[in-house]
Amino acid sequence: MKREQDATMFGVNSQGLIDFLLAGSRPVASVMLAFLVSGVIILLQGVNPLEAYLAVLRGAFGDKVAFGNTCVRTTPLLIGGLGMTLGIRGGLFNVGAEGQLYLGAAAATAVGLLPLAVPSWLHILLSLSAGILGGSLWAFLPAYLRAFRGISEIVVTIMLNFVGIYFVSYLVHEPRLLAQEGVSYAQSRTILESAFLPILVKGTSMHLGIIIAVLLGFILYFVLKYTSFGFRTRMVGANPDAASYAAVNVKSSLFVTLLIVGGFSGLVGAVEMLGFKHSLYDAFSGGMGYETITVALLGGVNPLGVIVSSFFFGGLKAGGNLMQQTVGVSTSMVQVIQALAVLFLVGIGFMKPKLKTPKTTPPH
Amino acid sequence: MEDMFPQINTFLQATIRMSIPLILTGIGTLYTERCGIINIGVEGNMLIGAFAGVAGAMVTGNIYIAVLCAIITGGLLSLIFAFLTVSRRADQMVAGFGVNLLATGITITLMPYLNANRTRAVLFPVVDTGFLKDIPILGPLLFDQSIAIWLAIILTLISTWILYKTSWGLSLRAVGENSKAVATAGLSVIKLRYAGILLGGIFGGLGGAALSLNNLGFFVQNMTQSRGFIVLAALVVGKWNPVYFAVVCLFFGAADALQLRAQAFGSVLPYQLYLMLPYLLTIVALAGLVGKTKAPKEYAKPYDPEQA
Repeated sequence: MKREQDATMFGVNSQGLIDFLLAGSRPVASVMLAFLVSGVIILLQGVNPLEAYLAVLRGAFGDKVAFGNTCVRTTPLLIGGLGMTLGIRGGLFNVGAEGQLYLGAAAATAVGLLPLAVPSWLHILLSLSAGILGGSLWAFLPAYLRAFRGISEIVVTIMLNFVGIYFVSYLVHEPRLLAQEGVSYAQSRTILESAFLPILVKGTSMHLGIIIAVLLGFILYFVLKYTSFGFRTRMVGANPDAASYAAVNVKSSLFVTLLIVGGFSGLVGAVEMLGFKHSLYDAFSGGMGYETITVALLGGVNPLGVIVSSFFFGGLKAGGNLMQQTVGVSTSMVQVIQALAVLFLVGIGFMKPKLKTPKTTPPH
Repeated sequence: MEDMFPQINTFLQATIRMSIPLILTGIGTLYTERCGIINIGVEGNMLIGAFAGVAGAMVTGNIYIAVLCAIITGGLLSLIFAFLTVSRRADQMVAGFGVNLLATGITITLMPYLNANRTRAVLFPVVDTGFLKDIPILGPLLFDQSIAIWLAIILTLISTWILYKTSWGLSLRAVGENSKAVATAGLSVIKLRYAGILLGGIFGGLGGAALSLNNLGFFVQNMTQSRGFIVLAALVVGKWNPVYFAVVCLFFGAADALQLRAQAFGSVLPYQLYLMLPYLLTIVALAGLVGKTKAPKEYAKPYDPEQA
């Protein structure tokens, strides 16, 4: 705790400052390397990489429409990245965000389709809550197995992703459930307008989700750092034996943390439905749940860092389209950049110099 | 009955066709997992193998060179994973995810160059077995198939022998159970894990080629469709034993074949249920509801020589 406080006092404690800069330098270095290698691949396709990247930049932040698109892409990555962050801090590696977000989206869609005689804000709130619940529910089994039966959550959550995706596929194929009839691509009926998240800037697709997401980022930062819940969660993640010795109930902490993480993923799906897609498609996410892992790691597993990294990836995804339109480089180059960034990050992670941590507070 | 035979035959043939890429990939992945590594990047290995196989076949027109291309690219991709997880001790999930994303991105980026001339690639040759293929049911099932089925059978048997009857196989399995003991015995944990991962990549590439070149002859975006994950699932359900695993793959292949039929002709049960089946069974197996699954003890744990 002492060192974390020191880090904010720039110049007073150089050790803290070095730590602070190092934490940010590794992700930045990995991203630079990823751009460099991707640049070579783009060059091989006969396109000037600088032109391609400039197109991405314009497509992401060029005008208010572009920025709106960036926000829309950022929102799910940010909320999901925060969930991943909480999980990793709490000693859990949730690879199940993909399945959880599908269930969250389905639950939110189901409530969003109900013709409720309630004001719009309440309809939205109910739909969002349903989404959170859906995601949490999908995390229940792995949470139980991990906390009380000692079975790793990793493989169970991976497997549940596919079960969830196919379950939702069934929902949107079956007219008695959510499916819209007479469409070529399987999808649900369109959510009622009373459950739409409001658009923030006219003429763009920027919706309320981005505000919710950024707020959640600050809230999670505060909760992890300053509340006893956050302290206990981090303790379980850092050293479960010590936590257990300090009378923290490790089992229930793991259980509750994974349920909350599932709730974050469920909210991702819900916000995507209510704010952007407005109807549930077969395979709508395209791996977004897995991308939240990248976002959390490049954000240094820190809620504030995740805000930055999610905007970065959201911008990349939004800008990729303009790159394809103007210079003819496939949008899938964005995936290559993202993949390289995460591979470089875990690759150079080990080279992080071991800093000597003072055991006791040095005398002033 | 007259009409039943062709129906059963096409279904069984489809079952074999669906399970061969799984079995081929899984044999290699078995080595990876037996030395304590979980590589979800196997999906990417398969995908890039399927792509490189088609590319090699398009360029050279020779199926053997095509398969070699698939094996080499699958192997190279797995070396990235090996470097990160073994030498750099990176998280296996994250590295595997990165590899998958890389394979997806690269294959889609390069696809326009592959499908430029819109022809089909050469396929795996069908082995002519003479009179054997006229045996009812068994004939079309086993003796009217491409060389891939023989590869799958032979490699499964060889792998069983290597893993259980050779000292190298014993060392490899020991790394997954107790890497420190292996290091104490003077063997290189690092080398064994590299070998296990590389074999996984090579076979993943081969499995990918079996997917794109066994009877299709072309590549489509994301054509593996999570089959790498089905392989991981089959390893859990098959308790990391090559023969059990191959049987489970046949079963999963049958589920896949049923799923395709359900989509084409309709069925009582939703086709998504068949698609879910491998994953549901894996969860059941992991939860210990049917017997105890014996995962390698050091499953998904990095090896740190400084702590040995």
